[in-house]
Amino acid sequence: MSTVLLVEDDPAARQGLELALSRLGYGVRAAATGEAALDGLGQGPVDVVVLDLMLPGVDGFEVCRRLRRVSNVPVIMLTARGDDFDIVAGLEAGADDYVVKPAEPRVLDARIRAVLRRLARAGSPAETWGELVIDRESLIVLRAGQPVPLTPTELRLLLVLSGSSRQVFSREQLLDLVWEHGYLGDSRLVDACVQRLRAKIETDTSEPRYIQTVRGFGYRFGPV
Amino acid sequence: MRARLIASFIVVALLAALASAWVVTLIVPFYPSLGNLVRPALISHLLGSYVPGTGRHRGGPGVPARATAAVFVLAAAGLLLATITGLAFAAARRVLGPVRRLADAARQMSGGDLSVRVEPAGRDELAHLVTAFNTMASALQGKVGELEQMETRARQFAGDVSHELRTPLTAMTAVADILGDGTAADADATAAARLVGQEIRHLNRLVGDLIEISRFDAGSAQLTADDTDVATAVQQCLRARNWAGVCCTVPAGLTVRLDRRRFDVILANLVGNALRHGAPPVTVRASTQTGRAGGSELVLEVRDHGPGLPADAIGHVFDRFYKADSARARSEGSGLGLAIAQENARLHGGRIDAANDPEGGAVFTVRLPVP
Repeated sequence: MSTVLLVEDDPAARQGLELALSRLGYGVRAAATGEAALDGLGQGPVDVVVLDLMLPGVDGFEVCRRLRRVSNVPVIMLTARGDDFDIVAGLEAGADDYVVKPAEPRVLDARIRAVLRRLARAGSPAETWGELVIDRESLIVLRAGQPVPLTPTELRLLLVLSGSSRQVFSREQLLDLVWEHGYLGDSRLVDACVQRLRAKIETDTSEPRYIQTVRGFGYRFGPV
Repeated sequence: MRARLIASFIVVALLAALASAWVVTLIVPFYPSLGNLVRPALISHLLGSYVPGTGRHRGGPGVPARATAAVFVLAAAGLLLATITGLAFAAARRVLGPVRRLADAARQMSGGDLSVRVEPAGRDELAHLVTAFNTMASALQGKVGELEQMETRARQFAGDVSHELRTPLTAMTAVADILGDGTAADADATAAARLVGQEIRHLNRLVGDLIEISRFDAGSAQLTADDTDVATAVQQCLRARNWAGVCCTVPAGLTVRLDRRRFDVILANLVGNALRHGAPPVTVRASTQTGRAGGSELVLEVRDHGPGLPADAIGHVFDRFYKADSARARSEGSGLGLAIAQENARLHGGRIDAANDPEGGAVFTVRLPVP
């Protein structure tokens, strides 16, 4: 059973989500503030964090940032702002995905399961691409010998692209393969995540060597 | 202003008189014949050829007696002054009249009467000023009228929204106790819960649509345009909603720069309406044509074979919360579907038109410019 750390300040919403998530089969640990959530991390294993953004005190983005400094646990942001949600800021803070409130439990469930799948390990030997070493078994990526800290989503994106190098993936395909959003997911997620990934693994982001843009089609890994 | 005008007029006239007198005294010695011109015969005769010291008149020009001269000067000066003042007043009225009329008109306008206009007379700068004033008054009247209309529409909208929100709340309020009770029979509780669930979904849709519409109203809606294959987009839209019986005639390879999500919203609303309020077969046809402004546009027609739109509804069908069939108070949608579709089309620079097909059924035509 996977454990969800739910961070939501509104008591009614917190109660509702706790109820819904536990009926879906998740163990739920609830926190009403960012500070309580960060403390709660130490109280036992957490498989995924569902993080509301409008929190009193430390806001959701900051909580996510602090979370990332100590853990690679997947984070799903809950936001009331649909179109306005700053995806780039969210991914920059380290989130893996976002859900717009009010969230139907079905949708939340699907996102949680998708995000947990990101950390699925596939046993295959480490691959070397130029300066990058990608180990699918241990889920470690090295660049010039140094481990690169990647969120589960960035990692999955890299694995999907490099798994079929030279194949061009459209944004829709990537949305489906990495985020498992259904029809008409937000393709801005893909662009923002590619930018984050490039910032971490490319030597020169203006001339990307690993994650290349194919204009009018999408993205492709290499040729290196 | 008027006093200044008249005073300056008089001063100028007197100075002119002085100057001409001075010029005459300079010139006449050189042109004695001019003296006759300057001193007209009548005046000489009147003044008489009074020779000083003799007490007698004599014919011909002479030096007039002091008293006569004084009277003459005073009379002439009086006449001159009167003429000058008269002319000054006339000129002042010519200039200040329109100015006063404009001032009165402006005062009337600030009092609230925006329909006041002034008649321009002549073609000089004053007439231009009057014409400019009239143009400004018309523009102001138009703008204020527009704002008043907008305010009325906003109030109407707020009223409609409150009503629409109250409807699902009514059902839920009715059964809230049943659910919270804990003593209700299972069947009742289940029925109540199902009702609440249904109304919640309705409310969610309504709120989502309201947020969407308010974004358009606030001007903060943005277009995320991307090259889209129209045939694929249409197919995806229909498949995602399991609308299998819809016939599509979309040329292959037709690629247009569209906001995919918004295009989906438009098509889904039109096809949904066709299936719900029209009757099958529902057809979707896409093509490119030359638009009114000359550029090319994507034309998407959604047709159904139902009863069509009532004649008085056609002009209102895109209004917010408009329900063509007033008896159908409860609709599955939020009442904002077509309004949102129209705004989405407008955001692309296009529009949607509603009409009845001569062969029966309604046809909605979406036109989106192809840049």
